[in-house]
Amino acid sequence: MASLSLPNQYSLSSLLPTQARQHPFSRNRRVLSKLSQSQFYGVKLSNSISLPIPCSCSGKSVISAKVKKGSVPPSFALKDQDGKSVSLSKFKGKPVVVYFYPADETPGCTKQACAFRDSYEKFKKAGAQVIGISGDDPSSHKAFAKKYRLPFTLLSDEGNKVRKEWGVPADLFGTLPGRETYVLDKNGVVQLVYNNQFQPEKHIDETLKLLQSL
Amino acid sequence: MSILAQNNFTLSSHHHVHTTSLPIVCARIHCLAATTKTKPSHDRRLIEPQFIPPSTPVIVTANRPSLNDPTLLSTWSHRAWVATGCTTVLVSLAKSIMGAASSHIWLEPTLVGLVGYALADLGSGVYHWGIDNYGSASTPGFGAQIEAFQGHHKWPWTITRRQFANNLHALARAVTFTVLPINLLCDDPVIHGFVGVCSGCIMFSQQFHAWAHGTKSRLPPLVVALQDLGLLVSRSQHAAHHRPPYNNNYCIVSGVWNEFLDKKNVFEALELILFFKLGVRPRSWDEPTSEWTEDTDTPSQIIAN
Repeated sequence: MASLSLPNQYSLSSLLPTQARQHPFSRNRRVLSKLSQSQFYGVKLSNSISLPIPCSCSGKSVISAKVKKGSVPPSFALKDQDGKSVSLSKFKGKPVVVYFYPADETPGCTKQACAFRDSYEKFKKAGAQVIGISGDDPSSHKAFAKKYRLPFTLLSDEGNKVRKEWGVPADLFGTLPGRETYVLDKNGVVQLVYNNQFQPEKHIDETLKLLQSL
Repeated sequence: MSILAQNNFTLSSHHHVHTTSLPIVCARIHCLAATTKTKPSHDRRLIEPQFIPPSTPVIVTANRPSLNDPTLLSTWSHRAWVATGCTTVLVSLAKSIMGAASSHIWLEPTLVGLVGYALADLGSGVYHWGIDNYGSASTPGFGAQIEAFQGHHKWPWTITRRQFANNLHALARAVTFTVLPINLLCDDPVIHGFVGVCSGCIMFSQQFHAWAHGTKSRLPPLVVALQDLGLLVSRSQHAAHHRPPYNNNYCIVSGVWNEFLDKKNVFEALELILFFKLGVRPRSWDEPTSEWTEDTDTPSQIIAN
């Protein structure tokens, strides 16, 4: 069973019409509410969990995700901002930070990208690579990377195929692509999954903390 | 005489012209609340007008409104709308009080009145957010308001120079059309408790907004006290809305919702939903254009003061 470190904060989801109330898994309503709360304000998945369906839960505090701590995520080959195909397996042998973000040129994603940029030396010092993934096309990534002088790779997950394969949970009842970061060790095993939609800079803090302990 | 005075603009006129032309300036400030950010002492350091005698209002550029701009003055049409708006609100409140007195139910009308006051603040924020971020001068129904709000961000000081009825008449008209049918069709004191307070707060929100742009020394002590108590939107809270990135503190009645809405990223979430579902991008996501950025070149604003 997963244990979640949930901040004790008011849930935005309670203000909005909820699909969960019509969801067949109605007994999981409270858990879904807690899920949304944690996704906004940061949740670290520290243990593995059992259910395969994204965002549906059983029990008290379970988040389902296909890629979780301790697992080896499915490989992918996506185009980078220069149109070149980049495979995840290329990064084996060193730690890699894979962060899924909603879209280029949105406020949170810009903050997050710039935060990764500003701390890039620390990531390099830890021997880690940084990869950002969103559904935008390579030309959008190219413009985004150029505008903000991003030194790392941005990959185009057009159709959000990899996002779905990795089970990145969506926010606000499926209306927003989630913001989730994975840290893989040099063996390609996930050591951290961090989710936080509205505090993007925290992804950098959490991943650096973990990298320093690897 | 001001160039702008040659143009007679009413609230209902829509001007879809480039922002550098005079009609746009008049339309923009017509619905505006603006502020003066300058203190009286600053006036004395201003540059003298170069081409126009000191006794006439000064316009340094065609776009910048002057303090004696006739579009800041109230007309009889404005006053009529404010009068009708106030009448409908007062009738609603009177119905609530009289109904409560005759039924001996005071708690419910009072409570819903407080709810109305709170929801008016929330509604002002949502409306303000929408107008600030979406649409343009050519948007049907809202174009003039959108343009006016953009102009307000460019010249926030003008709202403090706008006469009372001029400032409130647009909201007063909306309140008249909304509350009058309720007054005619309903006698329930609880409903009128909510409607009267909510509509009154909405109608006067532009006045609260104007006061939020005022300086402490120039505001009535009672207004300052209400602002300090958090019962009216404070000057400091609203000033934050006029600073980059212009995406917070949208509520302008009491401002009680501002901290919650900003801390919980409510508007950011709504913006993201609209972006991903409809592909519309809010203005606050991009660097402000010249039409949006505050004009801090103040000499022409203050010369005629």
